[in-house]
Amino acid sequence: MTARVWDLPVRLVHWVLAALIPFSWWAAKSDHLPWHRLSGYTILGLLVFRLIWGVAGSSTARFGAFLKGPRAVAAYLRGEGAPAAGHNPLGGWSVAAMLVVLATQVGLGLFSVDEDGLEAGPLAKFVSFDTGRAIAHIHHLVFWALAGLVALHLGAIGVYAIRGRNLLKPMITGDAELAPGAEAPGLAAPWRLAAACAAAAALAWFVAHGLKA
Amino acid sequence: MTPSKPFAAMLVCGAVLLAGATAAEALQGVAAAKARMGHMKALGKASKAMFEQVKSGAPDMAVVKVQAADIALASREMPSWFPPGSGQEAEPKSHALPVVWTDHEKFETKAKALAEAAAKLDAVAQAGDTAGVGPAFHEVGAACKGCHDTFRAKEDD
Repeated sequence: MTARVWDLPVRLVHWVLAALIPFSWWAAKSDHLPWHRLSGYTILGLLVFRLIWGVAGSSTARFGAFLKGPRAVAAYLRGEGAPAAGHNPLGGWSVAAMLVVLATQVGLGLFSVDEDGLEAGPLAKFVSFDTGRAIAHIHHLVFWALAGLVALHLGAIGVYAIRGRNLLKPMITGDAELAPGAEAPGLAAPWRLAAACAAAAALAWFVAHGLKA
Repeated sequence: MTPSKPFAAMLVCGAVLLAGATAAEALQGVAAAKARMGHMKALGKASKAMFEQVKSGAPDMAVVKVQAADIALASREMPSWFPPGSGQEAEPKSHALPVVWTDHEKFETKAKALAEAAAKLDAVAQAGDTAGVGPAFHEVGAACKGCHDTFRAKEDD
C-alpha cells in the first residue's frame, strides 16, 4: 500500500535546507555577507518551524515518533523491529544530529563578527569583538561538522539505493510503499501549518532584528 | 583653581613621555608587525561599535563621534604601520602580503583612499549628521575591503 509518508512542509523544509546550506557556505566564501545573513535567517525560521512540527506536526515528522532508544536501533540493525512508516530508528538519530548541529551553526552565526568588524550577526552587539571573533572561528569549524553529517546522510541514501531501496523519490513526491503491517501516517491539519509558519517567521524576524520588534 | 606646581610639572613630564612614545612608534621588524596587528584589531573593535550604531537605525552620536575620530586618526597613520621588513618574514602571524612593499605605490593609493573616506566620516560624525553616518561608514568599509582584497592574506580557519 502506498501512503503519504512525508507531508509537504517536511519536504519543503528539507529541500530548502539542501539548497540554503551550500548557498550560505558559498555566500560567506565569496564575501556576500548580506546574502549569507539572509540565508541564515531563513534557515533559522525553517529550524524553528521544524522544531514546532516535531511536536505538533504530522506523525512521521514528530520527534516522539522517530527518536527511539538504543534497543530499537540495535533491533533495526539486526533487521528486526516493528515495521513503521517514516524514519527508521537509525535514520531518526541522523536527522536529529543534523538538526542539532545546524541549530548550533545558526546560533553561532548570530553572534559572529568578521575580521574587520564590518560585518556581524544581529546578536553580536551583545558580545565583545574578541568573543565575536572566537565565535566566528567556531562557526567556521562547525560548518565542517555539518558537512560531515550531510556526507553521511548522502552516503546512507546511496547505500539504501544499492540495496534496492529508493529514499529519494519519497522525499520528492511524499509517497512511499508502506511495509506490510505498518500503520499509515497521520497528516497534520492545515491550521497547524499556518500557526507553525507564523510563529517561526515571527521568531526569525525578531532575532534577525537583534531582538527588537 | 590653578594647578599646583608639582601637578603642572607632572603634566609636562607626561606630555614629554607621550611625545617620546609617539616618536618611538617608528618600530621595526617583528615589533612593528605586532604593533600593526594590535592597531588593526583596535580598528576592528571601532568598526564593530560603529556597525552596531549604524544598524540600530538611531545611532548614538556620542559613540559615533568617538569611534569616527579614532578611525580617522588610525587611517591617517596607517601607512607608517608598514615599515619595510615588518611583513610575514618578521612575524609569520601577520597577514600583510609581500605585495604591500613590492607594489607600494598602489598600497599608498589605497591607504589614501581610506584616509579620505575616514576623514569624511569623521566630519559627518562631528557635524552631528545622523543620516550621513551610515553612507559615510559604508565608504570606509569599502576602502578597508578595497585594500584587504589585494594586500592581506585570507584567514585560514
